[in-house]
Amino acid sequence: MPDSSAPSLIANSSFIREIRERVASVVVGQDIVVERLLIALFTGGHLLLQGVPGLAKTLLVSVLSKSVDLDSARIQFTIDLLPSDILGSEILDQRTNEFRIHKGPVFTNLLLADEINRAAPKVQGALLEAMQERKVTIGDETFPLPAPFLVIATQNPVEQAGTFELPEAQLDRFMLCHRLDYPTPDEEREVLKRNMALGIRHEDRGAVAITEFDVLENKPVGSDRELVACMEAVNQVHVSDTFLEHVVELVRRTRTHPNIELGCSPRAGIALIKASRARALIHGREYVVPEDLFSLAEDVILHRIRLNYEALADGLTGAGVLQDILKSMGATPSHSAASQSTGNSAVSSEEASTEQYAGV
Amino acid sequence: MIPSNRYVFTLKLPLAVLVLCAAGFGTAQAAKDVRNATVGFSARIEQIVLPGSELNSKPQTKDSPIVLRIVDRFPHGSNFRYDLEYYGLESGSWNLSDFLQRSDGTQTEGLPEIRVEIAAVLPPGQVEPNMLKYDPVRGLGGYRNLMAVSAVAWTIGLVLLLFAGRKKSSNATSSETVAVSVADRLRPMVSRAIDGELSEHELAELELTLVMFWRRRLNLDQHDAASIIPTLRQHDEAGPLLTQLEAWLHQPGGAGDVDITALLEPYRDLPEDALETPGASFL
Repeated sequence: MPDSSAPSLIANSSFIREIRERVASVVVGQDIVVERLLIALFTGGHLLLQGVPGLAKTLLVSVLSKSVDLDSARIQFTIDLLPSDILGSEILDQRTNEFRIHKGPVFTNLLLADEINRAAPKVQGALLEAMQERKVTIGDETFPLPAPFLVIATQNPVEQAGTFELPEAQLDRFMLCHRLDYPTPDEEREVLKRNMALGIRHEDRGAVAITEFDVLENKPVGSDRELVACMEAVNQVHVSDTFLEHVVELVRRTRTHPNIELGCSPRAGIALIKASRARALIHGREYVVPEDLFSLAEDVILHRIRLNYEALADGLTGAGVLQDILKSMGATPSHSAASQSTGNSAVSSEEASTEQYAGV
Repeated sequence: MIPSNRYVFTLKLPLAVLVLCAAGFGTAQAAKDVRNATVGFSARIEQIVLPGSELNSKPQTKDSPIVLRIVDRFPHGSNFRYDLEYYGLESGSWNLSDFLQRSDGTQTEGLPEIRVEIAAVLPPGQVEPNMLKYDPVRGLGGYRNLMAVSAVAWTIGLVLLLFAGRKKSSNATSSETVAVSVADRLRPMVSRAIDGELSEHELAELELTLVMFWRRRLNLDQHDAASIIPTLRQHDEAGPLLTQLEAWLHQPGGAGDVDITALLEPYRDLPEDALETPGASFL
């Protein structure tokens, strides 16, 4: 039940609404992606976007950074990229004959790492280490990264030739992994109409086609102070013990499911709580509800689990297994409840984990 | 004419050389007849004529003190002439005739004694090595039978894996299907919730069980899990239930605004067919 009487919500709701309106003025649809971007921004987590090229991923990051007056940078990951290309390096200044630090593009607020899986593992490792520790060591000196620091990485799930798949341990560092989908026909129609209306721009003696990037407004709708206020408000969102039980149960079920070889780490539970709090704030609530959990489960959990060989041989997918787990919550008694209760409801956890297939 | 001394000397010298060479050749071609040897060193007795039919050396046994080999044999009238080679394994005096046998299987009576002396080089009292002990290799052979048995066992295993395992899985599933019904699970939980006896964990389970109840009642099983609660929120009966459940269980201070007994009373005695009439109100 929205409770907009709370002062923090009144202050933050307009800020969030204006950001969404600014993004919507440039990007058609993708409401869920915008929500995920805001969740990552408010919680300081990192976001991995999986989707084919041309779904406005770069545009989204650009408009978001300009909406909140944040610095942004974009790195196109390639096979020959070096860690120093991202982090920076020591270079010899010939005028002074001294080494000085040249900071790389990672020193920004919003970093778009395009096609992160195209770079060699040592480059991925360097970036992910910076993401985790929020500091970078160049030579003998360690530099903290600016705050806020948010990495939005993209992966193309189609072209896998010449790519280095991120291992589960590194994927775990992304709080959210969202799978972008194509726009609906109505949204696509709107995209085409807006693009047709852009026209051309005269430059020197020639002209170039105007892109969506050219029409981005530079005036931010909010300041970094408002962003910090939102981050503080997220931390004040109430999380009930009942919700904690839901999170613990969901994470536990990923670890005991017969089709899953690698379940969620405790970091997944932490990410679920953080993301749920941010989502609650975005939806104007001061407390989290199960809807937040179910809505965010796929983005938080799916990239953290790995199916076993039998499941893959049977043609199961991670998304399908996760849906089964989510739908089995409540349909089958949890492990501890089964051990506490008596009578008809007392079935073992192993039975509970397989009952979902019976379609009770 | 009398030859001169010089001429005589010239003739005699080559003759003497020829005689000496012939004598040497004769010595070199003389048959060997060595009757004394040391342990392990071979010796020969050649061109010895032995009476009777053709002779062979007896097959060697483990305990034979002499190893005897007939190198060559030649007809010699009604007898045979032999070249023998031997070496001793044990010191002593041995009769080589004892180690010969007739090729035609007749007795060797009448053979002369061929005595040889084998001397030991090592001093007496040598410790002899122990006999080599070995276990005969067992299990050799029978490979075709082994392959046949393996093939049968593999086939049986494959059949069991393909059929028995799957039957077990489906049997287990079907037995669980009938074990617990939603109504059976909800009734005791609701009663205890109204009495305030549920733990936080059980309250969480009650909440999701109620969501699951309405999900099945409204046939939303095929929906994405994330869209189920927003869909239920739009329903006339499930919507208010969810809103009040959230206020009770999740909103800080919200429990005071919710009449838990009134909220859960319809689920205390759920009819068995509550899920069999989807869409019909039972409240």
